[in-house]
Amino acid sequence: MAALDQKSPNVLLQSLCCRITGKSEADVAHQFQYAVRVIGSNYAPTIERDEFLVSEKIKKELLKQRREADAALFSELHRKLQTQGVLKHRWSILYLLLSLCEDPRKPSARVGSYGSLFAQALPRDAHSTPFYYTRPQSLSLSYPERSALAAHNASSMGTSGISSLGMYTLNGPGAGPSPQSLLTGPQAVADPARGPRLAWALPVTGATPMNSRPMTGPAPALGSTSSPAPRLPHRPRRDGETGAEIGEAALVRDILYVFQGIDGKFIKMCTPENCYKIDSKVPICKSLRDTSSRLAELGWLHNKVRKYTDSRSLDRAFGLVGQSFCASLHQELKEYYRLLSVLHSQLQVEDDQGVNVGLESTLTLRRLLVWTYDPKIRLKTLAALVDYCQGRKGGELASAVHAYGKTGDPHMRALVQHILGLVSHPILNFLYRWIYDGELEDTYHEFFVASDPTVKTDRLWHDKYSLRKSMIPSFITMDQARKVLLIGKSINFLHQVCHDRTPPGKILPASKSADSPKDAAELFTDLEGAFQSKIDAAYFETSKYLLDVLNKNYQLLEHLQAMRRYLLLGQGDFIRHLMDLLKPELARAATTLYQHNLTGILETAVRATNAQFDSPDILKRLDVRLLEVSPGDTGWDVFSLDYHVDGPIATVFTRECMSHYLRVFNFLWRAKRMEYILTDIWKSQMCNAKVLKSMPELSGVLHQCHILASEMVHFIHQMQYYITFEVLECSWDELWNKVQQAQDLDHIIAAHEVFLDTIISRCLLDSNSRSLLNQLRAVFDQIIEFQNAQNALYRSALEELKLRVQYEDSKRRRVEEGDWGVTAEQEAAENKRVQEFKDTIPKMCSQLRLLTHFYQGIVQEFLRLLMTSSDESLQFLSFRLDFNEHYKARDPRLRPSLGATRGRRSSNI
Amino acid sequence: MNAVRETMDVLLEISRLLNTGLDMESLSICVRLCEQGINPEALSSVIKELRRATDTLKASDNSTSQG
Repeated sequence: MAALDQKSPNVLLQSLCCRITGKSEADVAHQFQYAVRVIGSNYAPTIERDEFLVSEKIKKELLKQRREADAALFSELHRKLQTQGVLKHRWSILYLLLSLCEDPRKPSARVGSYGSLFAQALPRDAHSTPFYYTRPQSLSLSYPERSALAAHNASSMGTSGISSLGMYTLNGPGAGPSPQSLLTGPQAVADPARGPRLAWALPVTGATPMNSRPMTGPAPALGSTSSPAPRLPHRPRRDGETGAEIGEAALVRDILYVFQGIDGKFIKMCTPENCYKIDSKVPICKSLRDTSSRLAELGWLHNKVRKYTDSRSLDRAFGLVGQSFCASLHQELKEYYRLLSVLHSQLQVEDDQGVNVGLESTLTLRRLLVWTYDPKIRLKTLAALVDYCQGRKGGELASAVHAYGKTGDPHMRALVQHILGLVSHPILNFLYRWIYDGELEDTYHEFFVASDPTVKTDRLWHDKYSLRKSMIPSFITMDQARKVLLIGKSINFLHQVCHDRTPPGKILPASKSADSPKDAAELFTDLEGAFQSKIDAAYFETSKYLLDVLNKNYQLLEHLQAMRRYLLLGQGDFIRHLMDLLKPELARAATTLYQHNLTGILETAVRATNAQFDSPDILKRLDVRLLEVSPGDTGWDVFSLDYHVDGPIATVFTRECMSHYLRVFNFLWRAKRMEYILTDIWKSQMCNAKVLKSMPELSGVLHQCHILASEMVHFIHQMQYYITFEVLECSWDELWNKVQQAQDLDHIIAAHEVFLDTIISRCLLDSNSRSLLNQLRAVFDQIIEFQNAQNALYRSALEELKLRVQYEDSKRRRVEEGDWGVTAEQEAAENKRVQEFKDTIPKMCSQLRLLTHFYQGIVQEFLRLLMTSSDESLQFLSFRLDFNEHYKARDPRLRPSLGATRGRRSSNI
Repeated sequence: MNAVRETMDVLLEISRLLNTGLDMESLSICVRLCEQGINPEALSSVIKELRRATDTLKASDNSTSQG
């Protein structure tokens, strides 16, 4: 075997002919000429020049023949072939082998009744002009050379080459009437119009210049005896526009324009009906009209999509998501244009060759219908999408695209998925920037996190960032969106409020991956998996870091405890001592109080009690605050402790929270004061009990006093018990647990708010229990009044006692001096004074009785309200206050209350 | 040179697998043609046509010689 030297193709072809027919060179002249002509016409390969595709086809072919072992063997050989770099056109030789492939199981179809032209032509032409002598330079493959030759040969026919062939077959055998007359006429007319388009439409190897057009002549001559015969009728019609009916070919040409949204010669855009239509006056057969109007839909769809992208791609406000949507539509359109250009080149090649050698690739409407079936579905989807997405942008647009992806058609789903990938890519970018860097680069308001630039840093956590509900893409759940919002918010909070400058990379060990658009779609559609875990990871890390910073650097939990100790009176010794110190101050009118005096007292109290061991940061924040003074207020009414919060912890202890704290403090302070007063009352009772024994006339009144005082003590003790244990401690425990388990700052804030709300409502400070609170206040007032009354009683009693003792003393002294103990007028005066004092006792008695009466009335009312309350803990309180049914026995209204409350409760539920 | 031989062997093997009916010489001619950039589609149709013609010719020869 010779080396692969550059022998002229013609020589090679000739030896091939000899080899296959098994005849000498002289005998194969005719076959050789045929071969040269076919090869020379060199029509464009209808296949992709892809070695891989060809090899796949070969494998498939082998598998089809059930030769799996051979397929494997072929892969082996193919790989070997690839490793040897000898061949340049591997695909070409492989393709040749494939097309020569025959199934060994089938009987050879080679010998048959196939009436090829050679069968008849050979014997006759065997001795005709020996054309092979002219072969050496005749077949050149490069285009310019050939065209030059062809041009040259047009005059010197018969000497060589392509053009001579045509002339030969036409004139040489002279078999039958030459079809050239039939063809060249109209074609010559059409040629100038098509000329310019040839240049770009022709594939490189398929380049056949117009000059060689005479070559088209032989085709019908050949075809008349072989398979292409049925196609003949098309040909004359192709250019027969002057005829009565428009040919299919002309329509095909038109349709190709319509596909691009350009009006064709016959098929035009009909504006009122908004569709492509063939003019009804144009004579055309009905089936063609139907088919072309069906095809024209493609043009309409194309226009629709095109119009959208054109109008939108320049609109900058449409945003990044919109732009990527347009880009994806463009991509699809580009794919579509590629198809159109293939169809166009097909048409051109047909025009140029005028015939297809042995292949059935003529463009017909029907064929177009089949070929454009898939593109049409795609375009339809796109058009529907465009319709649906009109007027949407950003995340909303992504939702719209996503909604279209929910279809059972896998092709459509893949298409929409692809678009969704592109569309959601910018959203994903926003998202990553946001959750990893805390930055919001959303110029066109497309992302679902919105930022309000007017909000100052102190309200950053609460007000600055919000979710844009409409922009949440439907493939992101509300929960995820909230987490995303929280992550970025935490980062911003750290940066702007906590002034924490830790680079985001340190917070999040997970590096952000470079996600391509494809990943974006996958990430979003696979909601349970990667995306969720990514968000979760970022969420946990960021929130944990934020909480760490708040706890370590800003002592959030310590402040929380300080609130409880000072504002909720948890630090008992301090409060007691403070009250001791404040008592003289606060007894004065509110207007005479000065903040600095009180602050001094506060400091004294702190220094004297365990509070001094608290961290100075906390003590520094503790302060006195005087509420607004209304006329008649004493210091007790306006005094309040305060706790200053600022910086990051003010996010938890907001202004509303602090005002709640103050209200609760006020209430607790008041209750505490009642306890304090009652202690005083009890103390004076104990002290004076013995002293006043010498005045038996007082025993009734004092007894009354003792009874009332113990009633009040019982009441206040139960109240205190309720407040301390059932309200404060329980809520505090709940809060503490929640804070310990909190995953993010929002949890803490929420838990804290719940805590405050519970306290407020349990302390009867909310609007629902206003009547209860009023009763309670009245009880407190009665206690104060009782204190005053008892004080007055004791004062007058002690005064009287003092006078009596003085009287007795002076009497004794005079007796010792030897005088009369008393003079008559002295005794009279003494008796009168005693009588006067005795006369006041019934008054005091009645005053006390009145007080008791009022007090009991109020307590009964209070109990009644408690029993009808829906809060269980309040009902328990009522049982405890009236544990021995003392009040129940007095008040018939309290009696049926249990059943009534049950009924009421069930009706409430 | 050796590489060329090996390549040809491989191609011949493939050709055998695919049952193309090409012998070594035809195959090498085809390979050379293909290497010069000839459209394989055209070449294959030529070969098929040639074979068909030869077969018909043989058949007719046979029938004439018999008849």
